[in-house]
Amino acid sequence: MPRSWSSSMAAVWAVLRKECRSEWRTRYGLNAALLFAVASLAAVSFSAGRLGERTDVLAALFWIVLLFATLASMSHAFVRETENRTMLLLRLVASPTEIALGKLLFNLVFLLVVEVAIVPLFMVLMSAPPPRWGSFLTVLGLGTVSLAASSTLVGAVIAQTRGRGALFAGVSLPLLLPVLAAAVSGTKAQWIGVGLDGEIRLLIAYAVALLGMSLLLYEHLWED
Amino acid sequence: MLWRWLIFIWIAAFMIAAFAWAPLVPVLEATTRVLYFHIPAAWVTVLALGWSMIHSALYLWKRDMRHDDQAAAAAELGLLFCVVATVSGSLWAKAMWGSYWNWDPRETSIFFVLLLYAAYLALRGSIEGEEKRARLSAVYSVIAFVAVPFLMFVVPRIYFSLHPEVIDLSRGKVDMDPRIRICFSGMLVGFTFLYFWLQSLKVRVTRLERRALVS
Repeated sequence: MPRSWSSSMAAVWAVLRKECRSEWRTRYGLNAALLFAVASLAAVSFSAGRLGERTDVLAALFWIVLLFATLASMSHAFVRETENRTMLLLRLVASPTEIALGKLLFNLVFLLVVEVAIVPLFMVLMSAPPPRWGSFLTVLGLGTVSLAASSTLVGAVIAQTRGRGALFAGVSLPLLLPVLAAAVSGTKAQWIGVGLDGEIRLLIAYAVALLGMSLLLYEHLWED
Repeated sequence: MLWRWLIFIWIAAFMIAAFAWAPLVPVLEATTRVLYFHIPAAWVTVLALGWSMIHSALYLWKRDMRHDDQAAAAAELGLLFCVVATVSGSLWAKAMWGSYWNWDPRETSIFFVLLLYAAYLALRGSIEGEEKRARLSAVYSVIAFVAVPFLMFVVPRIYFSLHPEVIDLSRGKVDMDPRIRICFSGMLVGFTFLYFWLQSLKVRVTRLERRALVS
């Protein structure tokens, strides 16, 4: 049923609020993601030692820690609905696109919270040289948008399959490898101090393509 | 039946011509001949994956199982030709660059494409119910094809690669000896027909299987 723009936005906002509230009540998704990120960061930090000069390794490790934290926890926005058998109820009150957009915004917020915790910790534990914040945050932000867009779509697909958890990482990762490659080389470039326009353009194009295609696909995620 | 023989004779004839008639490129020497095999395989990969994406989108639009059969068969064949392109490229890299695999941007890209469509097949295998499997894999196939042009065309042009550019899209011309060009075009056409023949076989098998299941 087609609805007006403002009521759709209200539905998206309601889904986002509902997601945030139910996450806040249990916090198990957030706790798991933070715990996983900190644990993998610690594992990387003590096994690799101090890498202050090796910015190429630092950039790779940073994105791998972030990606793993994402893959370990991002599917739960949809899997939770399936496990609690609340998906049907949610679909009664909002259209598939509205639900997916709400979840996408929630995933973005979720990732931002994880990053706020991870980025300073990474810089301290790995004794990384100070980044050029403008370029660093641009790369991080664009990478985050792609991460959230792909996990929302894949999460919604995965929630309807057998073996949900295991498949999520395997199916998301190939979609995210171009992001990983561009983000790692962008992060490295800002530490070295060379231009990273190519990487930023690639990240923007990929994020826009993922988001645009997702918007067209959301309404096919569930059967009418 | 007739098609099979025509394709066989066509590819065999150009293969012989490629060895007996076409000259070798100075620096590449004998490895020139990988050109007649590697590039058509890479071209068929993109063609098959595009075919899969188009039929996935058509499935989402029309909800006709025939489109899903096409999409699934094309993804499998795309993966197969992608393996052919990867292996032939890797052998060539051993001869020219000294190692089978050294993460040149081209090698990285094609490896990501392999992973993407392996994930597609893994996803297909884990969904119960024909309609649901068709719908969800169509969604994934469309989003996966977003990555393919980036990997096949954008990334190798942004990052420095040692991979030779036979077909330079930016200059819009092909640097080739006329005899090499004839053999190369013949192989391109041959591989394209080979792909569509395999595709039609695969789709027919899927339909027969379904009919056997129903009856």
